[in-house]
Amino acid sequence: MTEPTRAFFERLAEQQQPFLKSLTGVVRLDLVDAERTEHWYLAIRKGDVTVSHEGPEPDCVVSTELATFDAIVKGDMNAMAAVLRGAVDVRGDFRFVTALQQLFAGSTKAPDVPTAGYARRPS
Amino acid sequence: MSPEVKILDGNTFVVSDDRGDIEASLTDPTGLFSFDTRFLSKWVLTLDGQRLNPLSVDDLQYFETRFFLVPGTGTVYIDAKTSVIRQRAVGGGFHEELTILNHDEKAIDVEARIEAGSDFADLFEVKDALKKQGEYYSRVDDGRLVLGYRRDTYVRETWVSATAACAIDEHGLTFSVHVEPHGEWTTDLHVTLGRGVGGTSVAEPKYERRAKKARPNMERSLEKWLEEAPTLACDWDPLKRTYQRSLVDLAALRFSPVSLPGHYLPAAGLPWFMTMFGRDSIFTSLQALPFTPELAQTTLVALGLWQGSHRDDFRDEDPGRILHELRFGEMTAFEERPHSPYYGSVDATPLYVVLLDEYERWTGDVKLVRALEQQARAALTWIDDYADLQGNGYIAYQRRNEQTGLENQCWKDSWDSISYRDGRLPGFPRATCELQGYAYDAKMRGARLARAIWRDPAFADRLEKEAAELKRRFNRDFWVEDGQYYALALEADGSMVDALASNNGHLLWSGIVDRGRAKAVAGHLMSPAMYSGWGVRTLAVGEARYNPIGYHVGTVWPFDSSIVAWGLRRYGFKEEAARIAAGILDAAEFFDGRLPEAFGGYPRELTKYPVQYPTACSPQAWSTGAPLLLLRTMLGLEPTGDHLIVDPVLPSGIGRLELLDIPGRWGKMDAFGRGRVDVDKRPRSRSQLGVLPPDEAKRRGGARGKSKGA
Repeated sequence: MTEPTRAFFERLAEQQQPFLKSLTGVVRLDLVDAERTEHWYLAIRKGDVTVSHEGPEPDCVVSTELATFDAIVKGDMNAMAAVLRGAVDVRGDFRFVTALQQLFAGSTKAPDVPTAGYARRPS
Repeated sequence: MSPEVKILDGNTFVVSDDRGDIEASLTDPTGLFSFDTRFLSKWVLTLDGQRLNPLSVDDLQYFETRFFLVPGTGTVYIDAKTSVIRQRAVGGGFHEELTILNHDEKAIDVEARIEAGSDFADLFEVKDALKKQGEYYSRVDDGRLVLGYRRDTYVRETWVSATAACAIDEHGLTFSVHVEPHGEWTTDLHVTLGRGVGGTSVAEPKYERRAKKARPNMERSLEKWLEEAPTLACDWDPLKRTYQRSLVDLAALRFSPVSLPGHYLPAAGLPWFMTMFGRDSIFTSLQALPFTPELAQTTLVALGLWQGSHRDDFRDEDPGRILHELRFGEMTAFEERPHSPYYGSVDATPLYVVLLDEYERWTGDVKLVRALEQQARAALTWIDDYADLQGNGYIAYQRRNEQTGLENQCWKDSWDSISYRDGRLPGFPRATCELQGYAYDAKMRGARLARAIWRDPAFADRLEKEAAELKRRFNRDFWVEDGQYYALALEADGSMVDALASNNGHLLWSGIVDRGRAKAVAGHLMSPAMYSGWGVRTLAVGEARYNPIGYHVGTVWPFDSSIVAWGLRRYGFKEEAARIAAGILDAAEFFDGRLPEAFGGYPRELTKYPVQYPTACSPQAWSTGAPLLLLRTMLGLEPTGDHLIVDPVLPSGIGRLELLDIPGRWGKMDAFGRGRVDVDKRPRSRSQLGVLPPDEAKRRGGARGKSKGA
């Protein structure tokens, strides 16, 4: 596993994920690296995510090249655009992808700067 | 150009000529479209190499149509021995039943041919006439014609097949047809999205020949939709027709997001805006709440799922921001357009909280309010932390995507909509007034939800304090003293952009207007400079940029007027709200109950009928919602606790108005209104509501709300 992907899974398992609060189900990530495919099961339950190599029948299967996944979790690539482009294949319940996209995008980017340059509160 | 015929199912739609043919050029918007991509740009039927002539078109449903055709060209009527019927239903592509009838005493042999092709254009390419970068292919495969397009990993395919024997080549299907005397021949044609978004594949169209296959979507059928909506009874017939039209059009405008299959929200307009738009979906859901609350529910969930999570300049995204528009085409896929989704609107985020509160007040659906607490809090945080671009505590907008982002991020999004009285345009960032009203309302409503449902009284106190402070400052900074109204916007340096515009009505709706100033504001909205007799002009007569046919600078928008009417009611101006309802409902009658997006701001006495502003989309969702909201304002429907308050003031000309089985937390309720009719009306004079003097528009009867059990 690559560093960005490992960091993403760690963060996923460690923190409560408010974006996933209304969802319960299993997403399987199929990450293709040359001839090898790694399967990752994300068991989502009210904002808690358990990451493992095994799991039950998934509600949604997301498959992509490992390099593409890295780019997405680093915030260099937009997940939705990648899905539209066919660079990421999605089978099953699309709600999980919508929710996961928000986690992807925010994962390793620089902290958000609110209203840069204007941040002055009124007296 | 032949007249256009449109049928649609969600974001899949067919635009053809009146023969049922499609012959699109890059800039010509005909074809089969789905997910913002054209899947067929050519679909031409010939008999023995001859094109057909239309006899008639039957629009059966919004998703189904039938073309009656005869062979031969030219304008002279031919006593045809052959006729052709094409019956087409859209859904997952489309299904076409092609029938050739022989009216002669002799058998006929004829070669029928369908030419098919696709340019797989993105809607944005159709709009801007851009060139494709990928490669096309076409092959015959497993008894079907496969039309395809590939650009890197992006692949889209259209599959065409038929039930009757035919020869298939790379450009179409050929049938050798033999028809007995007075006989008929028929085939089913299937056009499906063989490869679509996310690698999805549709092998069969949704609708088939009726005898063979029951219609899917049965549970959401049009009949059921109409049955579930409240029943309207009224002694003024045009309102019944307008109401019926609105419900049918709203059904057509329903859109099921990929993330929530089986649930529907209102798309913005048909057919080109059949997608999620934050602002349009929220406003339409608000208008339709007393009639079909499930639209609001889906809108809240879907927009919540897509809520912004980080800063992204290309998409004008921030944490907590509600999306502006979501698209699925090739240009979005390759990030040549930012719509995956694009977040460039500033009103959708506060309006999201407004809708959540209003939804709960009607439905009592506490569960959803709890489920969306995080999203609502993030939206409220966005207002303070990300929208204050001028650093003065007001919501303002300025795009960060300078190439393909939206310059104006309020509902009046044309380049010249925000101006000074003398016509000067302000710089950016711009803080338009209605945004401050929405922010105020979002804080007040957020406070109610925090106290009543999220059990966070400290947060509620803070929001109320902030709202009160915002109201105080707003009334100081935006009030045009010599005009006695609120300025259209504030510049970064604090200058008031002082044109008088319909945005003042939105301020009444939001509650940010000081009580003592409401009368002056209402007076302006009902003045000859603003009220045309049909509705409220977007910009007042007398302002430098006023133009009765200028998009946001003088036309009347039915949606806008319906919000103004709601605002007038909020401050107790019931008669005035009824006058606006009268004007808009009179106008609706001229459009067979289907209000356009906008019409000319000419005075009613001058034109006698409303002059339509030409737009691509009809019906438009929030115009469709306008009569619904006006019904609410006329009847004075207001949920209070577990009760529905009914306080009707009807326009003169409506004697009786009943809305039965209004759904809500009370179960079902009926609302009754009695008004005044002029019995001395001259015979055969057309019955219009808004032509009687306003002071006659007084309520005579009473009202009662009848509970039918919770």
